[in-house]
Order: sequence, then C-alpha cells, then structure tokens
Amino acid sequence: MSGRPPKALPSTGPHSLRDMPHPLAGSSSEEAVGGDSTPSPDLLMARSFGDKDLILPNGGTPAGTASPASSSSLLNRLQLDDDIDGETRDLFVTVDDPKKHVCTMETYVTYRITTKSTRVEFDLPEYSVRRRYQDFDWLRNKLEESQPTHLIPPLPEKFVVKGVVDRFSEEFVETRRKALDKFLKRITDHPVLSFNEHFNVFLTAKDLNMYKKQGMALLTRVGESVKHVTGGYKLRSRPLEFAAIGEYLDTFALKLGTIDRIAQRIIKEEIEYLVELREYGPVYSTWSALEGELAEPLEGVSACIGNCSTALEELTDDMTEDFLPVLREYILYSDSMKSVLKKRDHVQAEYEAKLEAVALRKEERPKVPADVEKCQDRMECFNADLKADMERWQNNKRQDFRQLLMGMADKNIQYYEKCLMAWESIIPLLQEKQEAK
Amino acid sequence: MEQASPDPEKLLQPATLEPLGHPEAELESVVGEEAEGARDDGSGDGKMTENNFWLKKIEISVSEAEKRTGRNAMNMQETYTAYLIETRSVEHTDGQSVLTDSLWRRYSEFELLRNYLLVYYPHIVVPPLPEKRAEFVWHKLSADNMDPDFVERRRIGLENFLLRLASHPVLCRDRIFYLFLTQEGNWKETVNETGFQLKADSRLKALNATFRVKNPDKRFTELKHYSDELQSVISHLLRVRARVADRLYGVYKVHGNYGRVFSEWSAIEKEMGDGLQSAGHHMDVYASSIDDILEDEEHYADQLKEYLFYAEALRAVCRKHELMQYDLEMAAQDLASKKQQCEELATGTVRTFSLKGMTTKLFGQETPEQREARIKVLEEQINEGEQQLKSKNLEGREFVKNAWADIERFKEQKNRDLKEALISYAVMQISMCKKGIQVWTNAKECFSKM
Repeated sequence: MSGRPPKALPSTGPHSLRDMPHPLAGSSSEEAVGGDSTPSPDLLMARSFGDKDLILPNGGTPAGTASPASSSSLLNRLQLDDDIDGETRDLFVTVDDPKKHVCTMETYVTYRITTKSTRVEFDLPEYSVRRRYQDFDWLRNKLEESQPTHLIPPLPEKFVVKGVVDRFSEEFVETRRKALDKFLKRITDHPVLSFNEHFNVFLTAKDLNMYKKQGMALLTRVGESVKHVTGGYKLRSRPLEFAAIGEYLDTFALKLGTIDRIAQRIIKEEIEYLVELREYGPVYSTWSALEGELAEPLEGVSACIGNCSTALEELTDDMTEDFLPVLREYILYSDSMKSVLKKRDHVQAEYEAKLEAVALRKEERPKVPADVEKCQDRMECFNADLKADMERWQNNKRQDFRQLLMGMADKNIQYYEKCLMAWESIIPLLQEKQEAK
Repeated sequence: MEQASPDPEKLLQPATLEPLGHPEAELESVVGEEAEGARDDGSGDGKMTENNFWLKKIEISVSEAEKRTGRNAMNMQETYTAYLIETRSVEHTDGQSVLTDSLWRRYSEFELLRNYLLVYYPHIVVPPLPEKRAEFVWHKLSADNMDPDFVERRRIGLENFLLRLASHPVLCRDRIFYLFLTQEGNWKETVNETGFQLKADSRLKALNATFRVKNPDKRFTELKHYSDELQSVISHLLRVRARVADRLYGVYKVHGNYGRVFSEWSAIEKEMGDGLQSAGHHMDVYASSIDDILEDEEHYADQLKEYLFYAEALRAVCRKHELMQYDLEMAAQDLASKKQQCEELATGTVRTFSLKGMTTKLFGQETPEQREARIKVLEEQINEGEQQLKSKNLEGREFVKNAWADIERFKEQKNRDLKEALISYAVMQISMCKKGIQVWTNAKECFSKM
C-alpha cells in the first residue's frame, strides 16, 4: 500500500489518518501501522456527510480522552443513521474467493476482503487483502474491547461440533464465507463501528499479524479505561426499557432455538424421504424391463421420480447452507447482546454505588466529584449507544428475517415447481397410444 | 415283425393336429366362439355381448358394509363384516335402474366363489379378491381388519371383483356366479354340491413343487417367468411406496410445529407479528394437507395390489398347463411302455425287464395260451390308453387355445388398467405439487408483510 496519493487531495502533513482522533470512534491515536506512508486526506475536505460532522467542535475529543464519545454526539449519530440508510453509502466491503493454504504446520482457508471507499479514513479508494477466520475473531474481540457499549455482530461458530464435518468442503467454506461477509457488512453499516480503527486496519493492512503484535504491546488508554473492572457492584434494578429488552431477547432466543430445531428436523425427515425415493424410482425401471407396451410409461415414471429426488436434494442442501446458519447467527447475536446488557448493568451499578457513597459521606462539597460525574457520563453514553443499536438491530433483524423466511418459502416453491414440471411433462407420454408389441 | 417303438415325443406335441377327422372340427368351432367372445371389450361397466342376455345392462354394486356377530362352524361367537350386494337392471329407454336383487355376503363367501371358479375355469385368469389381511401398511394405516378405512377399501375391492367377473366374457355366464348375486340362502350348499373341491387338483396348491416336463410350451414357460417377476417387482414397489408415504407424512407434519412457534414469536414482535402469525396458519394448513393426499395414494396402491394378485392368477393358469402337459407326457410314456411289452410278448424277445419275464425264466415258460391272454389284456389297455391320450391331447389343445385367448384379453386389460393407474398417480402428484406451491406462496406473501 505504498504509493500514490489519492487524487485531488492535498496532504495535511506527515501524520497519517490514524494519528487523528476520530470523535465518533472514541479510540485514541495509535502508532501508524507499518508501511503506510501516504499522505492522508485533509480532514477538512469533507468528502462525505460523515466528514462534515467531524468538524463539529463537540465531536472533536482530543486524543487520549478516557470517555467514549459524549452523549451530545448522539444527535450526530442519529443523523448519520438516516443518511446511511439512504443512498450515500461510502464504504463497500465484500468477502469472497476462499482459498486453501497448505503449510507444514497447518492447513487453513483465507478469504479475499475487497474494500471500496471514498472515506477519508482510507488512503486508497480500493483495497484487497486476504484474511483467515482467526483474523476475524481477532477483529471481533478488538471491537468488543474498544466499543463495549455497542452491539457487535456475531461470527459464525469457531469450532465445528457436529459429527464429521469437513472444514474444507465446498459447502462448509461457502457457508462460512457468507457469514463472514454478513459480519463485515453489518459492521460497515454501523455508523460507529465502521469507523473503528481496528476495522480499518483489518480491511487495509497487508500484514495484519504485525499490527496484532503491536496492538498487544500497546495498551491503549481507551482500552484500559473501557475495561470495567467493576466486580462487586450489584445492580439494584434494571430500568424498565432495558428490562424489556432483556426479556425480549430471552424469548427471542428461545423461539429461534425452537425454529432451529424444527428446521433441522424437517431437513432430517426430508433426507430420509429422499433415501426412500432413491430406491422407489428405480423399481419402476426394473418393472419397465419386464413389459412391452408399458415399458415406456414405466420408464417415464422412474425418470420423473428421479427428477423429483434431485429437486429435493437441492432443497435440503439450500436449507442447510442458507437457512440454518442465519438462524444460528441470530442466536449468537442475541447472546452477545445479553452480555452487553449485563455490562451496561455493571456501569449503572458502579455509578449508583459511587453516588450512594457520596451521599453517605455527606460532605460539604456542593458539586458532585469528578469521578462520579464520569460514571454518570459513562452510563448515559452506554444507555444511549445501546438504545440506538437496539433500534438499528431491530430494523435489521426485521429485514433479515423477512428475507430469510421469504427465501425459505421461495426454495420450497421452486422445489414444488420442479416436481410439477416433471410430472406434467410425463402425462402426454403416459397417454400416448403405443404400438402393441 | 419289427415295429418301431412309437416315439413318445411325437405324441406330446399339443400344436400338431391329430389326423383323426371331424370331432376336432366341431370342437374347434365351439372353441372359436369362446375365443371370439373373449376378444370382446371387457370393460368394467357390465355391458355385455349378445350371448349374455341375462346379464345385459346390469349394474352391480357393493354398497354397504356392516359389522355382524354370529356363530361359526364350531358354534363359537365371532365378529365379521357383511357386505351388501345390490344388482340393478338398467332400463333401455330412460336409463333408469331398477333394483332387482339385494343380499348380504361375507368375505369367506367371496372366497368360496373364487375357489369354485378356479376349479371350473382353469384356463381363465380369474380376477383376484382384495387382500384378506392388510399388508404393505405404513405406520399411520391400521393393519386391523375391523378398521373402518380397511373395511371401506375392501368394500371397493369386492365391488371391483364382481365387476371384473361381470365383464368377463366367459365367467359372467357362470350359474354359480349368477346365484351368488341372486340367491342369498342356500348358496353355499349349492356350490358345495357341485363337488368342485374334489375336482380341485391338489397339486396346484404345491406352488413350488417341480414337475419335470420334457417338452414344455415355451410361451407358457415365459409367461410363468413373467408372472413371477411381476409379482416380485410389484411387491417391492408396494413395500417401498409404503415407506415413502411414511416419510412424506413425517415431513409435512413437522411443518405444523412452525405454526405454533410463529404464533408464540409473533406475540413479542411489533411490526413482524401479523406476518408471522398468518404465515404460521399456512404452515398448519400445509401440515394437515398430507392426510388427504396419502388417502388418495392408497387407491393407487390398491390398483397395484390387484395386479399383484392377478399375477398369481396368471401363474396358476401356467401351472395348470404345466400339470396337464406333465400328465400327458406320463400317459404317453405309459402307453409306449405297454406297447413295448406287447411287442415283446408277441415276438418273444425280452428287451425290457419285467418281473413276469424273470419269473418265467426262472420258473419255467408260460403256455402259449397264457401268453395270448396277456397280450389280449395289454392290447385292451393299449386301446384304452390311446383313447385317453387322444382325449388328453384334445383337452390340451383346447386348453391352450382358450387359455391363450384369455391371456391376450388379460394382457390388454392389464396394459389399459395400469396405464390409467399411472396417469391417475401422476395427476395426484401434480395436484400435490400445486397445493404445495399454493401454500408456500401464501406463506411467502405473509412473510413479505413482516
């Protein structure tokens, strides 16, 4: 990624973008990742709506600020939301082209990540890197660390538990690729997460491992401050709206679990049905060999059943590859959301405890001590972030399930249409007057 | 004088015409008539040829089934099902039908009728009865003979049996069949009085016993082989079809669970709720649709079963022919050996071993008078034997002619019926696919409103 500066963008100096604090991301500056010495685009040259907001005074938290973005930037976020849902997308990420790598120590799969963006945070308009599952896992952990108040999308399962599933089979790799693609797209769509520094590095760095190592060595101040070592603070009660969210997520996960089991059971029954069909069809062929006038009709029926069998196999494959993984993803999603809710509870608990402690001290000081204020700030930010994310999540969930279930219906319709065509085409054959042998 | 021993082989050719003059010609014409009758269209609606005037335009139906209790031969209480057989004659002018006869019969009486027909019409492929016990059932179906669904399907099967008889050019003329439809009391006694059980060849029951036939009729051998293969393939088909039905049932029924869970899920959703709820309803519809679908398919299975049993009837005809051929060969062999003995006695040469011959050698010669006497006996026996062989040959050729005519009729009926069965099966599948498309399209629309 050495090289040519983006067109028409004046350089603002030797600092790379990564040195500049991004107000919405809330992460502090870090050392520039190796290799990238291209001059960064001018922050003031707003090329997208997002950049406009960068200029706002409130948003410009100096590097090293402990707290995450203040609640006053919530408005900006909401504004961003609206615009993101519109046509002014400025970041596109795709996962494709899985490749198997065989090394002496291990064998693994990498995926090509293609990024196209006009955002100032990216030096180049286009990037193409290769990542493996490990890297995604790292990214997710980093996001959870650095954005604890936000809902981080889930990754597909790390380990393959059930039976002898081939990690390198086409179907498994394709299913995983789709899930990883979905993962990145969800982050891309998120107005805060998409600006996350780790995300940027993930998309652009040639050598991610180098960055990872460096990241380990440097304890970011944000990282520190954000890790709540709150142990011991117990929450008295969850505010109503968060309690409602918690209850919703519990029931939601339960229902999804049931649907997952039903879907699996259906696939199982369909496969057993398929096994019988595969024995059934050929018997008509055997019979056909005995007959004269009936030979063609019987052979036709045999072929017809064969076609239906193939259609059924396609249906079960589709359901296994496209339907079940998405269901599981949402179950993981709701699990991770519940843990974010718990974190929020801790923040609130800490604040309440500190507040209580101050009240008990009955000190003369009229103003609330700074650290309690910080706690309050933290809690309010967390609440705001969480609420915003929940709303976004609800919308996305609705669209995702609408698409998923319509897809399921579609696949079943296609299956029946294939079978219908097979049986309709055989009717003229059966009705044909044959020359008696 | 030397006489070439008659070649037993020559005597066995059923196809070769015996140079014996007129009697065949007469028989031939009668056989021809029968054969012609057999080539008439034997469709199941009871319409008959001129010959069967008393069965012309008759409608037969097995309209009801009823549970009864009675006492059996051992004076024990038993429960059985009785079937109401109604016969109607259709008036020419206005097509109205008038009930002429109505009586109740049970399954065992149908069996009696059929057994009688098997004995008296060995050259006919006698229509089979519906199965005695439910076989090839898949788990939802009951194997219980008293189960109403089984009784209903049996009622239809028995009606079909009677219609097959009524539309058969030869069988429809049978008096016992006529009485079966018209004479309720005493019918059993009438049948038994025919003494058909005595006439029955017990060897026919020993299905797999082999009788070495030296000169088998290739057509019958092939046909027997075909009937064996047909039985085997249809059995296999019915078994697998039952398993397929079982699995299909499972697939549909599990979808019903979606109905419940969508409903529960919709309760916690705001905008998605309605779409989910109504989609769930369609899943319930889908799950319950399989019951009717599979019930229809049972009719198809019953049609296949009929031909499974028909294959058995076909085999019986071939078997009968085999036995006739065997008897013919035995008779010819016996005749040949008697002729040989006679010749030896006449010429004084002993070519074949006989106990008489040995004892004669050992204990002294017999007198010329004794020898003459023996020759005379043998000559009588030979005469008798020749007459018997002639009539057996005649019988054999008649049998072959009649049997083959009925077999041709049967083949055409089979091809027609099975084609129809396959078409109706395809139509059933098409209907099932269309229902599936409908339900999922409805569900998809509900999902789109989520």
